[in-house]
Amino acid sequence: MASPGSIRPVATGVFTMPPDDTTAPHLLGGACDRGHGPFFPRPTYCPRCLDPVHEVDLGGHGTIYSYTVVRTRPPLGFPQPYAVGYIDLEEYPLRVFCLLDPTCLDELKIGRRLRLRVGPFGDDGSGEPLLRPLFTVAEEEG
Amino acid sequence: MTTPVVIGVGMMPFGKHPERTIVDMGAEVARAALLDAGLAPTDIDMGFFSNVLAGRLFGDATIGQNVLWEVGVNRIPVVNVENACTSGGTAFMLACNAIKAGEAEAVMVVGSEKTAVPQLGLINSGQTELDTQLGLVAPAGFALRACRHMADYGTTLEQLALVAVKNRRHGSLNPAAMYRQLTSVEEVLSSPMIVDPLTRLQCCPNADGAAAVVVASPARARRAGLLPGDPRWVSVRAALLATGSYENPQDLLRWETDYRAAALAYERAGLGPADVDVVELHDAFTIGEIIHCEALGLCPPGEGGLLVQSGATTLGGRVPVNVSGGLLSRGHPTGATGVAQLVELVQQLRGQAGARQVEGAKIGLAQCMGGDKSGDTKSCTMVVLGR
Repeated sequence: MASPGSIRPVATGVFTMPPDDTTAPHLLGGACDRGHGPFFPRPTYCPRCLDPVHEVDLGGHGTIYSYTVVRTRPPLGFPQPYAVGYIDLEEYPLRVFCLLDPTCLDELKIGRRLRLRVGPFGDDGSGEPLLRPLFTVAEEEG
Repeated sequence: MTTPVVIGVGMMPFGKHPERTIVDMGAEVARAALLDAGLAPTDIDMGFFSNVLAGRLFGDATIGQNVLWEVGVNRIPVVNVENACTSGGTAFMLACNAIKAGEAEAVMVVGSEKTAVPQLGLINSGQTELDTQLGLVAPAGFALRACRHMADYGTTLEQLALVAVKNRRHGSLNPAAMYRQLTSVEEVLSSPMIVDPLTRLQCCPNADGAAAVVVASPARARRAGLLPGDPRWVSVRAALLATGSYENPQDLLRWETDYRAAALAYERAGLGPADVDVVELHDAFTIGEIIHCEALGLCPPGEGGLLVQSGATTLGGRVPVNVSGGLLSRGHPTGATGVAQLVELVQQLRGQAGARQVEGAKIGLAQCMGGDKSGDTKSCTMVVLGR
């Protein structure tokens, strides 16, 4: 299997590419200099004032607002089943749609704290693997 | 302001029709609508055709001209419309706008689609979109709403299933419905899980089918032999299209767009939820009907589950919803669905709906919604018809 370093991300500017396994990845959004945003995903222009936007680090933690498990006909080379959800980010009042870790389905529930990880997950539709962000269960603190 | 009149409808049974093409199904219903309206092909002076997936599935394009030429409708402006599940309602809105603007007197609207094909996986909102690339298939968008609706309002699995049971009962009375066998809460809940908590019988079936309407100016309707007050004089009280917005955090218990479009439709039609006799709405998944009933004001927000449980939305109840069987039982050939909703309402208002007739129906409302974006919808159509 190819190492993550040689695999393309599903999209650029959506998450930080961790330099090594010990650095946690973060989601990236965008905001303009007039204080609009942040928005996720990062828009090309601020939808309020049409100014350019700069990158905003949205952090890597959030809690589940809603989640579900897709049990049939997975697209894009995803495993069957796979999980998705809306996550309320901790650092900004943003609710983002994202993949959830399919290896911890039993631990998913509304309000559960999750952390972001990035890794090879599925493909581009023609078999080439891609790096995708997915939220997984956060370690219990303390 | 000119109030357009629907003077002809054409419909065919939806289902698996592997031997049929989008063009021949479209031609069949367009011909039926012309005959129903008592018009010749040359009487039509504009055409709108709705289809969503033929480009992707079959490599086809600009199909409307192919359909209309089959029935002798040519030399006129023809527009092909794609707006996800609201394509049919969008085409109808454009047809009405053309009449109101005085650009046309008699307009043909045809929707035709084939989705009962093996190469179609779970449908999504657009292949290159980030949400799609992160796994957002259409049933997941609705399932995420269902989970939250259950958590916040106490909506139950049984209430979700009752939507499917009701619409199957309605579909059993509709010769054009794909599924006509009755079902039960137990059968719905024990069918295979597709996306938690939505089981297979809570998801609309892929289908092949077509539907058509002819809409005309009041003057043209009179020349076709109709008079205001006739049961066949079905006027368009409102026909509108709304689109969503980026609001974050987005409330998944409701689509703001749904409420906004409903309020505008009632305002334009000069009536309210209590005046509506029959509703066709976008029950692509059971939770959709529950949330849309709330948006249409048929019950307070959060009580859509209780509403279906009360029987109010069943044929014979206070405000029957999806008496055609809805998308869940009639089937969902995407581009044809919005037009088929209007065919059903016209048949109801004319008193031609047979065993599923809503007695004395005078006002009908059709709602449809299409495409996920940023937790909101890309399109929402509302049509109010009256006689």
